[in-house]
Amino acid sequence: MGISTFLGLETTLRGLLAQQQEIDVTGHNIANADTPGYSRETANLVASTPQPVVPSGLLGTGVTVQGYQRVRDNFIDIQLRAQTMKKGYAEAQQNGLNQVEMSLNEPSDTGLSSLLSSYWAAWQNVTNAPEDLASRQALAQSAASLANGFNSLASQFQTVVSQTQQQQTLTVSQINSIGTQIAQLNGAIASAESTGQQPNDLLDQRDLLIDQLSELGNTAVSQTAGTAGQYGSLDITVGGATLVTGTTASSLTLASMTSLTSGQLAGMQSVIDSIQDPTTGYLTKLNQLAGTIASATNTQHALGTDLNGNAGGAFFDVTAGNEAATLAVDPAILASPALIAASGNGQVGDASNATAIADLQQQTLLGGATIDTAYSQLVTQIGADSQEAQQNLSNQTSLVDALSNQRQSVSGVSLDEEMSNLLQYQRGYQASARALTAMDQLIDQLVNRTGTVGL
Amino acid sequence: MTERITQGMLATNLLADLQNITDQMSTSQEQLSSGKQILKPSDDPFGTARALAFRDDLASNQQYQTNINNATGWMNATDSALQSIEQLTQRARELVVQGATDTTGADGRTAIAQEIDQIIDSIKTTANTQYAGRYIFAGSMTTTAPYTTGGADSYNGDTATLNTEIGAGVQVPMNVTGASVVGDGSTPGSLLATLRTIENDLNSGNTSALQTTDLQALDTANDAVTNAQATVGARSDRLSTALTRLQSIQESTTSLLSDTEDADVSQVMVNLSQEQTVYQAALKAGADIVQPSLMDFLQ
Repeated sequence: MGISTFLGLETTLRGLLAQQQEIDVTGHNIANADTPGYSRETANLVASTPQPVVPSGLLGTGVTVQGYQRVRDNFIDIQLRAQTMKKGYAEAQQNGLNQVEMSLNEPSDTGLSSLLSSYWAAWQNVTNAPEDLASRQALAQSAASLANGFNSLASQFQTVVSQTQQQQTLTVSQINSIGTQIAQLNGAIASAESTGQQPNDLLDQRDLLIDQLSELGNTAVSQTAGTAGQYGSLDITVGGATLVTGTTASSLTLASMTSLTSGQLAGMQSVIDSIQDPTTGYLTKLNQLAGTIASATNTQHALGTDLNGNAGGAFFDVTAGNEAATLAVDPAILASPALIAASGNGQVGDASNATAIADLQQQTLLGGATIDTAYSQLVTQIGADSQEAQQNLSNQTSLVDALSNQRQSVSGVSLDEEMSNLLQYQRGYQASARALTAMDQLIDQLVNRTGTVGL
Repeated sequence: MTERITQGMLATNLLADLQNITDQMSTSQEQLSSGKQILKPSDDPFGTARALAFRDDLASNQQYQTNINNATGWMNATDSALQSIEQLTQRARELVVQGATDTTGADGRTAIAQEIDQIIDSIKTTANTQYAGRYIFAGSMTTTAPYTTGGADSYNGDTATLNTEIGAGVQVPMNVTGASVVGDGSTPGSLLATLRTIENDLNSGNTSALQTTDLQALDTANDAVTNAQATVGARSDRLSTALTRLQSIQESTTSLLSDTEDADVSQVMVNLSQEQTVYQAALKAGADIVQPSLMDFLQ
């Protein structure tokens, strides 16, 4: 079988078109160099179907663009998302614990520990002048400051809890909104694939959304059952609850996510737990401290006699179960400091009961620890927890940064690379055009100059 | 395959590094401006616990020093009152010796008896000494005058001991009661009762009693005063020793606290200047690396 005269034109035309498409892809890459989640694309070039030539063999017919492919490593995605979840957890935890720690205001001359010292010292000062109303007034004020210190610390702990809960609610609605977008993209991707197209940019968008989701909660991704093909639509679960099935997005609540283990939501929950835990929570321990101070002072106070010769009444008032927030000096004491029962033997000059209350400072009233030590342990625990969260965050940040660098290394747009590609494609285009010109001249020779002898 | 480095990676890494070094500079600067190396518990949880304990120790220490200063003032007042009483007793003894001689006539003895009466009043006035508004010889009834000058010789205080705390759980008694020094007029053998007997003996001219039993009784009663002086002296010594000890502990604790929570300024300055150098280098390198691309060299 012979060769068509115009085959060469066709071949060079394919070359021209292919180079042009390569240049288009390069332009697309350059335009999206800064687009978050964008994966660089390449045009897949293959030699087009050869034409059999008898007897020589198969003659090449140029080039075809088979498709556009995004350059992406799914394995890095999986690793990156796993580490992003842990980073989200550490981030939320560090954020919350930092607030808790700041509210302590320790070590300083204005924190609860110095209020405690002043409280004990005020009792000692009463022993130096028990008849003197001024020293009693000072004690009542110092005790009121201590109570205020406990109240404000408890309310700041509570504020951290309520703010964190609000953040959780916002985060859940963010998760639901991402779920809706993923479900829509699932539909768009599936319909594009069904017509044989590769929806690269939609895939990038969906991957970016899954990345964002991973930071919020522990996210699991699986191929929707029954979808064949390379990408298809994806099913997503967050915290063990199904968020997306195919093109359907469910609306999740905090309660429906029963196995939250990482991500910001779980980190926030850990902050709330570390404050509110009924045995080890910071607020629980603060309540124990306030309760112990109130009960120990009141018990000893009742054994003494006030300036009027009456037995001591309540010194502190406190509501059980919510001690730190409700601790207050009894209003009667504040109104009349003469009611402070400093005397042990009933005489005004005796202050043995005030000494006994001041000596509560040295007594191990809280499981082998004094009140001051127990407070210091609480501060140390909060400090150590916060330090650990900071270190976790810094570790996870390095890991996530390293992995996103790795991803960028594979999928990111390098302008230098695109420029050199552009050169290559431009030259390719020029060469194809030159080949076309050669073909044109050959045909010109054939059509216009052949068989014109004697004309 | 060599790693592809994109412009985006360069910019991201540069930004992360710059943020990192800025963060370090901000920490150094905070340490310098506050003078503290522990700004929050997580900076050094163990150091925070130590700092809190040291601060606690310092506060107690200062309170114990306040207690000691108060007790020392009280004891100084007690001591000078006891000295006056001792001098008055010596004067009374001289008068007894004078009144006991037969050469002193009845008029002379009456005059001496009047002076003894004055001495009794002086002793009671002295025993009514107050320190910071508190009667120091009245036991725990510190708002009640223990004796009535110009009235009955009864003791109106109690025998309670007043303690002051000079260390954790360490209490030192700081008062001596009027009852143990001057006594009550109704208790035979007490200073007041003895002086009253002497006054009566002088008035009645009972020189034999004056020469023997009265003089002996006065010496015995005086022993109570000198004993009290010795006790007060010993307690004052104890207080001043305790004060010295507390002051030296305060000094060492303050220095430990400073070591724990204060920033080492020269060290932080060195760190800061290193960080600044690194920051400037990073900026310079960033400006050089990020800017050019292949486009600058293509036609």
